[in-house]
Amino acid sequence: MAENISKAEMNAELETDKAIAAEAAAQAAGGHNVDDEKKHPVVLETHGVTIQFGGLTAVDHASIKVRKGRITALIGPNGAGKTTLFNAVSGVYIPTSGEVLLNGEHLEGKRGFQINEAGISRTYQVINLFRSMTVLENVMVGMHTRLKSNFFSDLFNTKKRREEDAEAREKAHEWLKFVGLDEFANAPAGSLSYGKQRLLEIVRGLASDPQVILLDEPAAGMNSTEKLELDALLKQILNMGYTILIVEHDMKLIMNISDYIYVLYHGALLAEGTPEEIQANPDVIAAYLGGEDDVI
Amino acid sequence: MKMNSKKLLPIIIGAVVLLVLPFLAQMITGNDYWVLILCTMLIYVIAVSGLDILFGYSGQISLGHASFYVIAAYTTGLLNNYFNIPLIITIPCGAIFAAILGAALAYPASRLKFHFLSLATVAFGEITYYFLYTSPGGFTNDYKGINIRTISFLGGSYTRWYFWLLLWAIVFVVAKIFIVNSRTGRAFIAIRENTHAADGMGVNVQKYKILAFAISAFYVGFAGTMYAHLYKYISPETARQKQSVLFLTMMLFGGSGSIVGSMIGVVIIEILLELIRPLQEYQMLLYGILLLIVIIALPGGIVGGVRDVMADRAKRKLQKEEEGGAQNG
Repeated sequence: MAENISKAEMNAELETDKAIAAEAAAQAAGGHNVDDEKKHPVVLETHGVTIQFGGLTAVDHASIKVRKGRITALIGPNGAGKTTLFNAVSGVYIPTSGEVLLNGEHLEGKRGFQINEAGISRTYQVINLFRSMTVLENVMVGMHTRLKSNFFSDLFNTKKRREEDAEAREKAHEWLKFVGLDEFANAPAGSLSYGKQRLLEIVRGLASDPQVILLDEPAAGMNSTEKLELDALLKQILNMGYTILIVEHDMKLIMNISDYIYVLYHGALLAEGTPEEIQANPDVIAAYLGGEDDVI
Repeated sequence: MKMNSKKLLPIIIGAVVLLVLPFLAQMITGNDYWVLILCTMLIYVIAVSGLDILFGYSGQISLGHASFYVIAAYTTGLLNNYFNIPLIITIPCGAIFAAILGAALAYPASRLKFHFLSLATVAFGEITYYFLYTSPGGFTNDYKGINIRTISFLGGSYTRWYFWLLLWAIVFVVAKIFIVNSRTGRAFIAIRENTHAADGMGVNVQKYKILAFAISAFYVGFAGTMYAHLYKYISPETARQKQSVLFLTMMLFGGSGSIVGSMIGVVIIEILLELIRPLQEYQMLLYGILLLIVIIALPGGIVGGVRDVMADRAKRKLQKEEEGGAQNG
């Protein structure tokens, strides 16, 4: 019951949001924006998500929207709560209050594996591969929720299971080819170079065919060539129809690829807008150049 | 899977060796004592393979696995002794009961970190021992243990037992191969490698940890029922730490997370135990020394050691070829 009410409220809120946006669009004498919203509906959104650890508020009423087929970025100085918000969306933390919605379905309070099953996959700030499994097997674990075989079909090695496995293997090879890792398919994941491990994490995340993939600092530790390749790769992933929510410190990369940016500062949203708007926003400039936390 | 002749040859040789082994042992020693040892090895292969699914693949430790071994043995023995239920029913009952207990133990224990899990399983072993030692109403015959019937069509022939157990060892090892190379097995290994990321990739960590415990208890439980019917006797003594440590030593010495590792460990340790049989009181000392050797010098067990040597050799060969290529170019 409570869920129904909050859903109704949500829809009402959504409607007003849309109306405001439509108005703004009309004022801008475009009509282009309205089309754009239809083409890129909101897939994932958070409403007033707050995360507290004891007395510390790591994220304070953060509301963000992630649109389908778009790259949405979350930036902010170190300790601003970006990764914490990510972890709340992906089920590592349960939000103290607020809502997380994927296509209107409530995700807050669900566990990590349930959220992956619902359609949100992720990569990690610190590389979290299955190091001694092969590169190929890592991608196949990424497909876990999409494969139907169960313990008994596995135990008896049924024909159906073997067929599904062969299909999954084929698909995993395709993913590896996509990021140029197929020649390492049978090598242990831990033996790959740092940049390649990052790429493997991305395709492992994509292997579950998620509605939204969360990338937590994918460019960290990459050299400039690898960053350029990553830039191109993210655009390719977008062209395949995937939706990306990204946390990243590399401003050049972010400004280049993002469609929409949210700036977190001390756990709260400081600003949002297109890369141009963010770059011109005096609050954002002050936050970054204030010298408190981080230097870009 | 296609088998080429290169792979087929060792399999054929292996099969022939396994088939003539009991007769060979009889011929050489003139009695069937070593056939009984071979039977014990096959039972241990089943048990240690099961423990390996838990430890080697899903990364959870158990220092109380002898409990499942003994509980299943008592289950089949008591059901048969008290109610005259045929063994064909009581044997699976024993293994299934062990699996259910395994799952029940894992349900709370799956939340524990490695060292706390090991303590919980030690406690489980002790509880089993003392329960069987002084049971309510003495229905387990307490410290005296119980006599158990043998499987009638095998009679007293150890050679027949050998082939019967060989069949089951093959069934259980093949099942292990299927499990660890499937979606289920990948989930186990993913949990071992990185629990956090496994959860993020959609693996229900708690469910798979419980499943690993149940499977492993089923293996060990089945081995326990076979042990009981082969030796026609079981006592609480077998539930003690010593037996659990024996399984663990065999698994670690052969190499955990490996199909052949469990088998190699069983064969070598069982032979060593027979060789020091006159010094039986030093058995635990031997386990201790072997465990230390494995932990310090051979972390991957024998299989891991051989793998490292081969990888090293391949690397060197590759380097040589590259150098050669560079010189030619």
